Amino acid sequence: MGEKALSPAEAVSTAAHALADAVSTGSKLLAGTELFSRIRDQDVQIATTPRDVVWRQDKVTLHHFRPLAERHVRIPVLITYGLIGRWTMTDLQDDRSLVRNLLNLGVDLYVVDWGNPSRADRYLTLDDYICSYLDACVTEVARQAGTDRVNLLGVCEGGVFTTAYAALEPERVNTMALTITPIDFHADAVENRPGHGFINIWTRALAPEDVDRLIEANGNLPGEFMGAVFSLMTPIRTMFKYNLDLLDVAGDENRLVNWLRMEKWIADRPDHPGEAAKQWLKELYQQNKLVKNQLELDGRRVDLSRITMPVLNVYAKDDHIIPPATSQALRSVVGAKEYEELALPGGHVGVFVGGKSQKLFAPAVMEFVRKHDGGAA
Amino acid sequence: MSDPPFDFGLKSFADFWWQAGKAAQQAQEDATRSFTEALKSTIRPAAQADLPVWPGAAVDNAELARASEALAELWKAATELSTGMAKSLAGAGNGLSGAKLDPTVEATFRAMADPRTWLAGAGGMDLVIGAVAQGPQLADLWNAERQQARVMQAWTEMRRRTLEHNAVVMQGWLGAARAFGEEIAGRTKKDGNSPDHKTTLALWAETANRVMLETQRSEPFLQTQAAMIRSGAEFRMAQREMAERWAAQFGFPTRTELDDVHRSLTELRREFRAFRRKHAERGAAPARKSEA
Repeated sequence: MGEKALSPAEAVSTAAHALADAVSTGSKLLAGTELFSRIRDQDVQIATTPRDVVWRQDKVTLHHFRPLAERHVRIPVLITYGLIGRWTMTDLQDDRSLVRNLLNLGVDLYVVDWGNPSRADRYLTLDDYICSYLDACVTEVARQAGTDRVNLLGVCEGGVFTTAYAALEPERVNTMALTITPIDFHADAVENRPGHGFINIWTRALAPEDVDRLIEANGNLPGEFMGAVFSLMTPIRTMFKYNLDLLDVAGDENRLVNWLRMEKWIADRPDHPGEAAKQWLKELYQQNKLVKNQLELDGRRVDLSRITMPVLNVYAKDDHIIPPATSQALRSVVGAKEYEELALPGGHVGVFVGGKSQKLFAPAVMEFVRKHDGGAA
Repeated sequence: MSDPPFDFGLKSFADFWWQAGKAAQQAQEDATRSFTEALKSTIRPAAQADLPVWPGAAVDNAELARASEALAELWKAATELSTGMAKSLAGAGNGLSGAKLDPTVEATFRAMADPRTWLAGAGGMDLVIGAVAQGPQLADLWNAERQQARVMQAWTEMRRRTLEHNAVVMQGWLGAARAFGEEIAGRTKKDGNSPDHKTTLALWAETANRVMLETQRSEPFLQTQAAMIRSGAEFRMAQREMAERWAAQFGFPTRTELDDVHRSLTELRREFRAFRRKHAERGAAPARKSEA
């Protein structure tokens, strides 16, 4: 997950050629050394789009972005990221920001920030996050906008939260857009591409009691632990990251700062609350309960056929973390008559930072929510 | 190419790469050595009577030794192979141009072919497990009793599982190196020239990536990794039990007690949120209807 979103094979090839080029000139290193001595951490800022905290409960914060253009949709959009990583990926930098792109198109935009769970949050469950915190955020967004329903935009694990919420509370969701979201956690076997879906395989290799013991021992699922699993997915890239990748960008200040922004995002790995992590790994990755309509939250079964609002399902064609088939499985299980898919070029992170994806993603979401903005309030 | 700043910069990267692998291996060697020495000093003839109190310890140590030997054998093979690879990588730069490769570039190639970086780069999971699992140093444990032995056993098991996993990782890298060697030999044989450094480097990266991705999907990799994770968790739990015994003696709160408090707090907050939501729904219900 470096400066560009490439497939592992492309990344390896690119990185290898980068070293060869750098070796042949040497100029990048000279410039890079000078740049490194000059750049400070404060120069590397992410998630800078102006926003206001409008609601807070425990460690969860709801942010409302200030408009950057005249609003063209009445019903607001709530972005929900997962507990692995942080929402700031959607606003990495000014010219690579889903948030800014949506605001510039006239969307009224909110985002939920789950905060930094600590050991004290170990007993929080997916039920808490979906049925309580997310529900409260939806209530607050609707209250502020004066609507009954909101548009939801879920990302990765946050997409699963969004899906489950839409199934439990369909009358409160105007439209549901998902991005790089796993629905069928066993569909990695559909394509079975080398280097893709390793987390699915890795998780299934663990016994359920191993997961329990891991959480018992650590309280939470440590952010650095998941970071190590992600690193395993790109073995050579991991070796090249702080030499070849760095060499590739060292001579260009903009590229170097972009690269450092991504590093900053990657370094910000919150721990995943323990009980919620057990549900995530066992009930979803191992037992695949979501797509089977067997997941229960707060004593209620999550029945995906209850998702009858319009659905936009966005996935990345070369996503090695969430293989496309795991996302595409949504089509056959939702009750929505209006179901659209958007396949974006690039990988998991490329959806947010890739040049081509950026041109397609926000306009597609805007078009989707505007189309269904009519008599919703 | 001999400009000092450039030379310095590239050398820094090469050193960084080299040191990462070196540190990982050194840590492993040190841990194994300190464990062995500690064990020797503990199992004195006069203390033999204590051994039955540590059931299974001898068996675990033998298993640890076997795992160490297996890795050592692989290590030897990897070192020999890497020597050849380093020559091949460095020599490739001279192949077409005839110009001698910059010493720092050569050093970078050599570092990349060092098996220590293979384990450090792709086997990072064991370092993470170690970092997560390690609390008090083992040196602090030798004055305790049965509970300490449990910690020791758990540590032994963790080291054994880590070595077994490292052996699988190393086998993967060896497979990658062999495939790379065959490919290079084939290309050289075809036209009489060895590929230039750019092609060589790209070939190594692509070959290693392909083989390692296959390795990571293999049953041995997944099983040994799961065992490593399991043993890391058990080690941590054993440490906690011992720490809690000490904490209880001195009246300090234990992890278990804090977990109890956190569980209660989470449940109370949950009830409070539900109460507040119901309260808000009752108050907001008429207004919501009028908006619709």
